[in-house]
Amino acid sequence: MPDKSSFSRRRFLKSAAGAGALVAAPQIIPSTVLGKDGAVAPSDRIVVGGIGIQGRGMHDLQWIMSKPGVQFVAICDLQKKQRLAVKAFVDQKNGNQDCAMYPEINEFLAARPDIDAVLIATGDRWHALASILSMRAKKDVYTEKPSCMTIAEGRAVVETARRYGRVYQTGTQRLSEPNHVFCIEMARTGRLGKIHTAYAHIAPWDAAEMRHDWLPAVPEPPKEEVDWNAWLGSCPWRPYNPSYVAGGWRGFYDFHTSCIGEWGAHTFAQAQAGLDCGESSPIEYEYVANDSGDGMVTHFANGVKMVLSRGNKYWSGSCGERFDGTDGWAAAADGYDQPAVSSPSLLNEFKQVIGEYVARTGRSLDHMQNFLDCVRTRERTVANPEVMHHSMTTVHAANICMWLKRSLKFDPVKEEFVNDDEANRLRSRAMREPYVY
Amino acid sequence: MWETHKSFVLAATLVALLAGRTPAQEAELLAVLKSDAGVQEKSDACRKLARVATKDSVPALAALLADEKLSHMARYALESVRDPSVDEALRDALGKVQGSPRLGVIGSLGARRDGKAVEPLGAVVKGSDAAAAQAAARALGCIGTAPAAQALQDALAGAAGATQLAVCEGLFRCAETMSAADQVDAARAIYDRLRGQADMPPQVKSAALRGAILSRKADGIPLLLEAIRGSDHDLANAAVRTAMELSGKEVTDALVAELPKVSPERQGLLITALAIHGQSQVLPAVLKAAQSSDPQLRVLAIRTLKRVGDASCVPALLDAAAEGNSEISPAALESLENLQGKAVDDQVVERLSKAEGKVRLLLIGLAAKRRIAAAVPVLWAAADDKDPAVRVAAVAGLGAVLDTAQLPKLLARLAATNDKQEAAALDQAIRDIGQRAADREAVAAQIAAALSGADGAVKARILDALAAIGGAKALETVAAAARSDNEEFRDAAYQELGQWTSADAAPVLLDLHKAATDQKLKTRAIRAYIRIARQFDMPADQRAAMCRTALDAAERDTDKRLVLEVLLRYPSDEMQAIALDAAKNPALKDEAMLVVMGLASKGINRAELGKALAQAGHQQVKLEIVKAEYGAGNKIKDVTDILRKFAKNYRVIFLPGANYNDTLGDPADGVVKQLKIKYKIDGKDGEVTFAENAMIVLPMPK
Repeated sequence: MPDKSSFSRRRFLKSAAGAGALVAAPQIIPSTVLGKDGAVAPSDRIVVGGIGIQGRGMHDLQWIMSKPGVQFVAICDLQKKQRLAVKAFVDQKNGNQDCAMYPEINEFLAARPDIDAVLIATGDRWHALASILSMRAKKDVYTEKPSCMTIAEGRAVVETARRYGRVYQTGTQRLSEPNHVFCIEMARTGRLGKIHTAYAHIAPWDAAEMRHDWLPAVPEPPKEEVDWNAWLGSCPWRPYNPSYVAGGWRGFYDFHTSCIGEWGAHTFAQAQAGLDCGESSPIEYEYVANDSGDGMVTHFANGVKMVLSRGNKYWSGSCGERFDGTDGWAAAADGYDQPAVSSPSLLNEFKQVIGEYVARTGRSLDHMQNFLDCVRTRERTVANPEVMHHSMTTVHAANICMWLKRSLKFDPVKEEFVNDDEANRLRSRAMREPYVY
Repeated sequence: MWETHKSFVLAATLVALLAGRTPAQEAELLAVLKSDAGVQEKSDACRKLARVATKDSVPALAALLADEKLSHMARYALESVRDPSVDEALRDALGKVQGSPRLGVIGSLGARRDGKAVEPLGAVVKGSDAAAAQAAARALGCIGTAPAAQALQDALAGAAGATQLAVCEGLFRCAETMSAADQVDAARAIYDRLRGQADMPPQVKSAALRGAILSRKADGIPLLLEAIRGSDHDLANAAVRTAMELSGKEVTDALVAELPKVSPERQGLLITALAIHGQSQVLPAVLKAAQSSDPQLRVLAIRTLKRVGDASCVPALLDAAAEGNSEISPAALESLENLQGKAVDDQVVERLSKAEGKVRLLLIGLAAKRRIAAAVPVLWAAADDKDPAVRVAAVAGLGAVLDTAQLPKLLARLAATNDKQEAAALDQAIRDIGQRAADREAVAAQIAAALSGADGAVKARILDALAAIGGAKALETVAAAARSDNEEFRDAAYQELGQWTSADAAPVLLDLHKAATDQKLKTRAIRAYIRIARQFDMPADQRAAMCRTALDAAERDTDKRLVLEVLLRYPSDEMQAIALDAAKNPALKDEAMLVVMGLASKGINRAELGKALAQAGHQQVKLEIVKAEYGAGNKIKDVTDILRKFAKNYRVIFLPGANYNDTLGDPADGVVKQLKIKYKIDGKDGEVTFAENAMIVLPMPK
């Protein structure tokens, strides 16, 4: 049996050649890498399957399929419409009719031992469970964010990845983008002086409090069309309504992580990386009397603050973060040509800072490429399970603080709130059988 | 005793009150559970009880454990109650409930780590119900005690397929709990048993190997090496991954010693692990691999040098970069760019002064990418080289390394540079220096000063540089140029202002529009002004004010229509009010009303739409939907009746959601569809086709 995840495959060398280069550098992408003309030996490829791909997932699918040496072979989706859509897309790209379709995740995982890695882009409620089931089945995982619904789910992802030695990347792609990497490294390396405050963007729509109501019951479609029970997964049962399946699940407590999780899943990871707290989480959350958590101050054990910010006060664009130190500040958000800084001279160090980061970590500044490189080398990714879990712990704790309308203290080692039984009860939710890990 | 008890009750009540919950709240929720309320109400009560329930709630919740619809929500509440009565209730239910609820009960016993559940769960894991056995195996793993582990070990021999995997998962969980509790020997015994059993799936063998190595610490190195040397690729990968988790000189030494003994393929894996260990003794081994005859190993080693290398690697990397191999050279360049240390820079500069041909170009590029200030003299010299390729590279390099003090020297080259590629490199170099400057205003002043004495073509390039740098001085200079009598200069300035990258150009553009006598210039100015309103981030009131100003100032209806597009793009009450005002202009009336309706379709004053339209003098129409069909190809659905329900006395039809399928159904799954409508407005026949999910605005029939 060929060594499916060894570094040694020729395709890896081609794909990895430009992996650490800046995004502005020309990419070396051979024209024959997708296997359409049979130019790549099967053993050279990373065989990939998808679980629940639509919306953002289609972007991820195109991204991963653009990478040399990737062969996408199967889609698992509980919606027939999506299975067909993904198959049509993949077959068109691959120039064949070979993309297999599976409606049920356990059947899919058991039937495809040939698949090395899975791309998970279900709704939020399935991200952690699908990741855990996949890793147990010897798959490496790239999953969309927010990657867990509770603190307990995040912990289970960490433990499963460790247990089975799987490579896992959560889709917080800004951790690999040069502008954000620059800001993070400027803060982390002390170039902004002693950092006292980081700001992290939360989504400027919706609220921290979410809906608990049910949409009107509509007769369920045939299971072959939409498997509603599977769609709900481990969440509490409620009657079918097509709006949920069409993306209307956002804003519901059972399925979503609020305006805080929507962007905090990205920006808390970014801010915590710069504070060198990527594998920890705050010890205190200060309640703010508004709907969204805008302005909430969180405190880390090292005395640094991270402030949740909803507007464009500290950046102009989406999913921003900013670091304030004694010697200056740096910020980045989507759409920036270059980071915003307190003094333009700080940008003189851009190349140096990025170079040091690449030299220190060896990581690609392309999030998907970083995942694929690690599938081959077995290294930890930039958005590994610990980074995901700890940033999502911050998301969940901030949400709990808003729901309980009181400030909270948290022990990041024990992963429990201090002297607050009610808050601790919200760290986990009983899973609905049989969708349990 | 009584006093103590009373104090406890008071304290508990106080804590509950401070936490915003009361016993009364729990009682109210329990009353819902006991009532004939529906599933939704009872589910909601359980969810709330998850936050407030005490042992008083346990009986009522336990009574729901066998209920197919409510069992999960009962557990949802029960799992969070810290009272042993919950465990008793769950154990009791284990023997009574069936089907899915039983699986849930098993899971909850695991989640609560109920040591007393080991015996009954041990029986379930050996039972004939596979789903229950798997759930029980995982639950025993969560409990994680020695008896739980024993129950799983007892079940292991008879387990197969998915149940075998679940039992192994349970055993791993037990082993991890034991390791954390300093019962390392017991944990190691589990790992050894699992890795020693021949019929185990590969993921179990790999996980067991990892556990076996980590539980032995440095004594696990022989196991590590055995797997690296072995023929099983999964185990080799697992071993290397585990090596990355280990620290310590012994591990690094063992991996370094192993490196020359294994195949090139395994050497690559080891090199990655060694890079993570990052100790100095790794470098010679990686350097040697970087010169391997195996091209694949060589590329990986070259890439790894950026992490573990130093100045001693520069010669080898330069040679590799100059090879021109499509895989080797980019890897070498990447490492050369990122290799850390001043000694590396010194080597680059020293070699640059002597290099020729391809290597010289390569070193110039490297000096630029590494921003080596010490390379400036050599780069100035290269900027006057007879080889145009060298000149272009050197000028680009100067843009990367010069500071603003040397900008005049670069500006002085503007007039003398005729070669197209060299001129482009020079312009970019000036922009690069300006954009890096701490004081951009000062740089803009330096560049603006170069305008005096420059000829027409150079002036345009200077304006371009100013636009790239931005700021007050740049804007002032370009605005002045826009008022110039020199047509070519003025045209270049207008071009820059039309693409200005910040909103501060808006007042300048408005002034230019007012002052211009040439109609073409007036149009360019107002269009550039509208562009800023359309594209730039700004407070909503500022954008609205700009839209009003632009509607007043623009003289041509085509320009006013551009403003209407802006209104539609940023829905708000104020934007709708502006559109209503614009509708007073007969030439804009139809488009403006469409904007009003379009904004209503986005939720702006939808309920008041009729009133607003009437105020604007918009006449209601008599609309009749004759026939409406939705679909694609031969999959067409008649949606006439549905559409009639939503058609009012306006030309716009609002469906309840943005997605047609939600209202009209989906007759052609996975295919982009069209909505075709035949209608009458005031008795006149019309027909129109919309793309799926487009806003439905019916044209007036002719």
